[in-house]
Amino acid sequence: MKPERPDTEPRIRVGAKEATESYQAPRTGLIFLQVLIVVFLAAFVSRFYYLQILHGAEFAVQAQNNHWREESISAPRGRILDQRGRILADNRTTFGLSLVRDDVRDLAATLAQVSVWTGMPIEKVEERYRQTRLKVKSFEPLLLASDLDFDLVARIESELCYWPGLEILVLTRRNYPEKDLFAHILGYVAEANEKELEEDSGLAMGDLVGKSGIELSMEKRLRGRKGISDIEVDASGHMVSRVLREEPQMGRDLVMSIDRDIQKACWDALGSQAGSIIVMEPDTGKLRGMVTAPAYDNNLFAGGISHRDWNVLRNSPRFPLQNRVLQSAYPPGSVWKLVMAGCFLENGVSPQTSVFCSGATKLGNQIFRCWKHSGHGQQNLEQALINSCDVYFYLIAEKIGINKIEEFARASGFGAPTGIDLPGERSGLVPSREWKKRRHKRAWTRGDTFNTSIGQGYTLTTPLQMAVYVSALLNGGDVLKPLLLESDERVVRSRIPAGRDTLAQIVRAMRRTAAGGTARVVGRKDADMGGKTGTAQVVKLGKTRPKNETMAWKQRDHAWIATWGHKGDRTYVVIVMVEHGGGGSSVAGPIAAKVYDFLFSNPRYTSPPGIQEPPSPLHGPPLPPDMARERAARQARLPY
Amino acid sequence: MDNRQPLLRHLNWVLLAAALALFAVGEVNLVSASGTRLESGLAQASFYQRQLLWGVLGLCCMTVTMCFDYHRLLRLSWYLYGLTLVLLILVPLIGTTVYGAKRWISLGLFSIQPSELAKFAILLTTAKFLSSRSETLGWKDFGLILLMAAPPLGFIVKQPDLGSALMLLFIAGGMVLFHGLKASVLRICALAIPCIGAFMWFVGMHDYQRQRILTFLNPEADPLGSGYHILQSRIAIGSGQLWGKGFAEGTQSQLRFLPERHSDFAVAVFGEEWGFVGCLVLISLFVIFLLAILTTIIQAKDRFGSMLCVGVFFYFFAEISINMGMVVGLMPVVGIPLPFISYGGSATIVNFILIGLVLNVSMRRRAFRI
Repeated sequence: MKPERPDTEPRIRVGAKEATESYQAPRTGLIFLQVLIVVFLAAFVSRFYYLQILHGAEFAVQAQNNHWREESISAPRGRILDQRGRILADNRTTFGLSLVRDDVRDLAATLAQVSVWTGMPIEKVEERYRQTRLKVKSFEPLLLASDLDFDLVARIESELCYWPGLEILVLTRRNYPEKDLFAHILGYVAEANEKELEEDSGLAMGDLVGKSGIELSMEKRLRGRKGISDIEVDASGHMVSRVLREEPQMGRDLVMSIDRDIQKACWDALGSQAGSIIVMEPDTGKLRGMVTAPAYDNNLFAGGISHRDWNVLRNSPRFPLQNRVLQSAYPPGSVWKLVMAGCFLENGVSPQTSVFCSGATKLGNQIFRCWKHSGHGQQNLEQALINSCDVYFYLIAEKIGINKIEEFARASGFGAPTGIDLPGERSGLVPSREWKKRRHKRAWTRGDTFNTSIGQGYTLTTPLQMAVYVSALLNGGDVLKPLLLESDERVVRSRIPAGRDTLAQIVRAMRRTAAGGTARVVGRKDADMGGKTGTAQVVKLGKTRPKNETMAWKQRDHAWIATWGHKGDRTYVVIVMVEHGGGGSSVAGPIAAKVYDFLFSNPRYTSPPGIQEPPSPLHGPPLPPDMARERAARQARLPY
Repeated sequence: MDNRQPLLRHLNWVLLAAALALFAVGEVNLVSASGTRLESGLAQASFYQRQLLWGVLGLCCMTVTMCFDYHRLLRLSWYLYGLTLVLLILVPLIGTTVYGAKRWISLGLFSIQPSELAKFAILLTTAKFLSSRSETLGWKDFGLILLMAAPPLGFIVKQPDLGSALMLLFIAGGMVLFHGLKASVLRICALAIPCIGAFMWFVGMHDYQRQRILTFLNPEADPLGSGYHILQSRIAIGSGQLWGKGFAEGTQSQLRFLPERHSDFAVAVFGEEWGFVGCLVLISLFVIFLLAILTTIIQAKDRFGSMLCVGVFFYFFAEISINMGMVVGLMPVVGIPLPFISYGGSATIVNFILIGLVLNVSMRRRAFRI
């Protein structure tokens, strides 16, 4: 053992036994160490106090937010059914193949594999990838293929483990089994856009909302309420546990007033023409058929329409996206005379008042012709309606004046939307002195009144307005809101300012027109029928009209027919409008006749509602017997 | 002198008890830190079992360290220093690269980390050097110590291994400060430290090291990147509040939000699950542990023994302060484990050897101090 160096400090003796020439640690050094320990203690105790006591609650919240996520559970959208419970729109589970960019090892090979599985050409897969790549974050699934059938999914699933980044997605898709037949009525759903997200706090990115048709107007009822579940996740976002907080609630089913079979019959009757057909119950305002053609397959939109398909639809010269029933306004042509007749009778024109038609009449140096150049001779109101004599209407209208005409037309529901529960309805146009001044900066002329009287000139109506008007003629003057849902209540919007006699006279004239006038093509032996045709000129032509067949399609006349039919216990109003179809009686008439052929050959459509049909849950509880009888009685006969 | 007195009578039992208590706390904490909650249930890693094994091994090494008279180390110190230098020189030549740094030399069956050895070497040589000086150090002696510490320090910084280099500085610097410097030297040194700091910042540091310091100053700048460790550990500790979430109930650790939760950030797991109360107990244990070493520093028979204990004191003090400081956000992130609490085989063995050294000194004291 080495001898210790002599210490500078004094030796200390301790007791008797143990003594040492002791080493003593430097005082300053010991103090230094003690200070260090005290600082250590103070620093950490205060720091832990700061973190855990002073700010503990905040950190606890942060820790909570760290590992709990709220996830919404989508609620299925309500279905849409036709009057008899057949499905028009429902939700379908489909399988899609998606790719998460972050997890893919070899992109080219993966895309090629997707092409092999799905049978899509590789160029298409790559194009799809390029198109959606920018919209989807790199860790989110990017949909490459949808609508895979189940067997294929099973096969892909078994090989999926070799392709990191690919996954099978279960998607809910809106399905419209009737395709074109109901496209415009139903509309379609698509992912909510920024504006919709902003306006509705209940929507989240990627939610489907109605974009048009019933899907849009009944959005509130169709959309369910989302459920919420709390998900506990770990640091890499994997779920550890899940707690259901709120059950999702399915949206309500809608039962439409439209009957799928009637709709189909109308569709077939219209054939390849561009135009529209309305079948309406005059008493209730319920629409039983509402066809517009050409149409499109709204399933295209439900799956996210491709650019190409969209461009085809949008740029088609036949405008398939247009709902011609209510989004197109046309000159009504001679059908308008039904309105004029009401106006005349209510403004002091007696049914016996007659006018001589020589085939034309002069106004200053202008000549206004009747469609029949040889003239109709002496005509009273009823004859003028049956023969559709233009001269009669020219001359009487001039006597009445445009102000009265406008007043009557407006009160009868023209020039304003009918209020149907579909978006984008047009108002049409009832011209007036003020309107012309405002719009054309020119004064109203008597010639304008002449033109207005035969449904030409500035007058524009939608087929739906015409259906509402004809219904009002039949139901005693109630201008009804056209109804689309079976559960909707009858809504009277206004009344035709005409007495019962006036309405009866017009209806009677229509009956005679169908029996032997211009609308005789719809005449039937087995039913009480009425009608009025119209042929609306689209372009002004010279003295002699060329035949329609020789004109360009765009320049041909619009063909109209407004009809009603009563058989058994039911009455229907059928309006047919064929765009650039030609003559009302030659083109629109036969189409309407086909519709009646269908309606009146099936006892289902001629027996009173709620009596023959078995009680169905769709229609609510059966009516009490006396109410059913009353309703049947009201349907059973025409008022005139 | 009576060489045959019962050695165990003077053993620093408090130190041993504190160390074992800390080890026990660390072991319990590791059981929780090994767990991971998954959707399918709880998955347990085997860290705590292995740590137990390392602990037993460490206790054996500790016993061996206690068995011989520490004065033998006087002769050994320069050999050890030489060996360390040779190994440090070899590291860049034959070392294995892990995470972009060359720190290890593979010996086939196992690898050694010369920087760990360097801590021993510096501890011994500085103690030996200082034991031969009774006066406060002047410029000459200070210079000699610098000269001695510089080569291993340089090699270690080059590896790069900032943590080990810092530890060397703390050990040697602490011992020098404890021994005492002449007032003039002390003043100059105090002035020099900011200059050296600035120099290191602009010249001596790697970009990632600078980034760490910037992140420490403002972790919110990049909460998912470089600031993630700091923020998550703060959230873990803070959310423990007063009583903690309970054993194995910590969501930050069980759901893997907390990185390195069994090693460098183990104390965050502890803080989350045992709360402020648990942390107070832990800090108290560390304070008792350090005070126990202090007792032996005072009671040591001679200056060499005392200086050995001072070195050990600074070793532990630095590790505890740096690690806990990092976890609670008082210091930048430096990869230094917390003694007894963090998982680590070689660290556990080294810790117990160093405790053995202190116990050795305490056993061989001759007199009580009053």
